[in-house]
Amino acid sequence: MEIIYTGILENAFWSGTAALGFGILFNIPKRLIPTVFILGFIAGFTKFYSLQNQYSIVVATFFASLLVGFLSIPFAKRVRKPIVVFSIPAIIPMIPGYFAYKTILGIRNFTLTNTLDTQQQNMLNHIFSNGFMTIFILFAITVGVSAPMLILGKDMTKKLPD
Amino acid sequence: MKAKRNPNIKLSVDLLLEICSLMMQSGANTKRVVDTINRFAEALHLESHALISHKSIIMTLLDKETHYTYTVVTQIPAYHANFWIVSEISISSWKALDRNWDYDEIKSRVEQIKNTNTYPFILILGAVSLADAGFANLFGGDYKNMLIAFIATLGGMLSVKLANSFHINAYIRTYFAAFVASAIAGLGVIFNYGLHPEIALATSVLFLVPGLALVNSFNDFLNNHILNGMVRFINGFLLVLSIGLGIISTMLLFNLNTL
Repeated sequence: MEIIYTGILENAFWSGTAALGFGILFNIPKRLIPTVFILGFIAGFTKFYSLQNQYSIVVATFFASLLVGFLSIPFAKRVRKPIVVFSIPAIIPMIPGYFAYKTILGIRNFTLTNTLDTQQQNMLNHIFSNGFMTIFILFAITVGVSAPMLILGKDMTKKLPD
Repeated sequence: MKAKRNPNIKLSVDLLLEICSLMMQSGANTKRVVDTINRFAEALHLESHALISHKSIIMTLLDKETHYTYTVVTQIPAYHANFWIVSEISISSWKALDRNWDYDEIKSRVEQIKNTNTYPFILILGAVSLADAGFANLFGGDYKNMLIAFIATLGGMLSVKLANSFHINAYIRTYFAAFVASAIAGLGVIFNYGLHPEIALATSVLFLVPGLALVNSFNDFLNNHILNGMVRFINGFLLVLSIGLGIISTMLLFNLNTL
């Protein structure tokens, strides 16, 4: 049990690092550096904890982004910066880049091969599963991270710098 | 009778267009750009109506007193994410509204925001390489694989820098960087370095994935800016395609078939 948690914590630490790396690439304001790392860490922890509990990767990603979305509101009040500036870098490590180019590699295998029909059908499976995974993970991230703003509406967030 | 011409409206439309194009190129989603422009326009006692697309903006400003309008079209330069600009312009749009800033104040603030410097290149290089090493860990690689991913990303980032100095097409730049990064990581596969060298190969190119474009694309879909969302999505898809082609080239070169 403890070994599992150590593994998740290690993954969460590297999620935070990846979030911070992209934050620096996107030139976030200096005082947001700890915020981005903490949110990236929390997102990574939630995602890998949910994966450990047999949730699918789409649902796990949705939980993580939703948590980032809700936590962004108190953070925005503290740092007085617009929410997207630190919520987007925090969720960047969850972008399904791996699935996206697995889809491309599947397309390559499908188009360059001249083997039997059954093998091509397997490749079609590969393309569709990875492709839809990419789209649904992206959708989960975006809806999750902006849901709190959409639910709470303008009144609740009016005091924040939008 | 001829309407009295507001002397500021022409200058104002240029300023608002500059703000609009700055925000688009720095990676704000379309709704944020529209909201920000509306706040600035309100501060200047004008009404703005803008058609914002991925490459150009058409904006009409209306002076509410004289009913005089002014329309200008502008091109948006190449996109380059810069959240400092997004953050500071958003904040100053609220300040402009609250404190009734006039044209000169907004103009000087925008100039100031535009000229702030970015992080030093060496820091960006280290941070992005570390981020990619982190990805290798997330996909189950050990520390040797993370080292390979780190070095591969360094090579990839330097190739992006090199390609940028030649001003080549963004897709060719991405292909080139993906090829360099995956070739370095491919050496790890050949020499079988670490527990899962194929994970280092797969994650070595993840720093090139246009995450911001893809997130903004779905954000635009949710806010009913479907066309802009589509443009961003296709843009992101083509970049991912270039990355895929880069890896495929490496796999053909080294005769690998691990993915």
